[in-house]
Amino acid sequence: MRLRPLDIVIALAAAGAIAFAAVSAYGPGSGPVNAVLKGRGGEWIYPLSADRDVRVAGPLGDTVVEIRGKSVRIVASPCPNKTCIAAGAIERPGQWLACLPNQVFVSIEGRRADGGVDASAY
Amino acid sequence: MAASTHPHTEARRRTYADITALLGAFCFFLSALEYMVPKPLPFMRLGIANLPILLAADLLPLPWYLALALVKVFGMSVISGSLFSYVALFSLAGTLTAALAMRLARKAFGRLISAVGVSILGAVLSNAVQMAIARLIVFGDAVRLVAPPFLAAGLATGALLGVFAEAFAGKSAWYARATRELHG
Repeated sequence: MRLRPLDIVIALAAAGAIAFAAVSAYGPGSGPVNAVLKGRGGEWIYPLSADRDVRVAGPLGDTVVEIRGKSVRIVASPCPNKTCIAAGAIERPGQWLACLPNQVFVSIEGRRADGGVDASAY
Repeated sequence: MAASTHPHTEARRRTYADITALLGAFCFFLSALEYMVPKPLPFMRLGIANLPILLAADLLPLPWYLALALVKVFGMSVISGSLFSYVALFSLAGTLTAALAMRLARKAFGRLISAVGVSILGAVLSNAVQMAIARLIVFGDAVRLVAPPFLAAGLATGALLGVFAEAFAGKSAWYARATRELHG
């Protein structure tokens, strides 16, 4: 099989667009690290430092989000395939969970704990 | 008075119908395979059900080609259980975008592009359109977090599917015969 010129152009253009999207999405954040929960009724922000269970209402029913030990996961969902539950726990800024059928989105936003410069010496 | 149809035209129409039906059946089969593969993240798909559409971009006239794309959407939605939910809208928009982009690329660029480039273009544009819809009607600005891995998956799976389609088109006696029948 031989690649043609436009194959390479298209692959490079796609890779460039993806790199740009990644830098825009995962660039340095600001503020404390929080779990951001979006549902049909609105958006809620919770600190990762306090353990809790949150029920987020969607068109199919309630999605239960567990915040525990500075990580977040979906533990119950009325969606058919449960992909959102199988995705497991997230704990770093930029990570996300989504339930498309129940229209629930969970992400972690804020400054990375291991990012930035703590000190410098000359 | 009944309109008469030229025998040659009728035979050609029947060939289009046969190929559309066969590739449509493959769409159903590949959709079922796709459904069985566990997904690491929501939104992620291998896109193997697009293989018949990729192969048909060179074979079928536009109306039959679009009919095949709609059959694929229907099959995928029935098998995944999303036919009567808004999730089917994502499949419809993504598949039609990919189908039209792949068709246009094939017709406009001819031998300057292989199935690999056509497939990458279709996969990435399909995913981009689905992200745009998700941003508009479901998740809002948060979609920016989903887009990079979703688009990267489209690039990877599109390239793999393109390599397979290129190899298939080069070796398949059925594909060679269909191309000969339809394009002389």
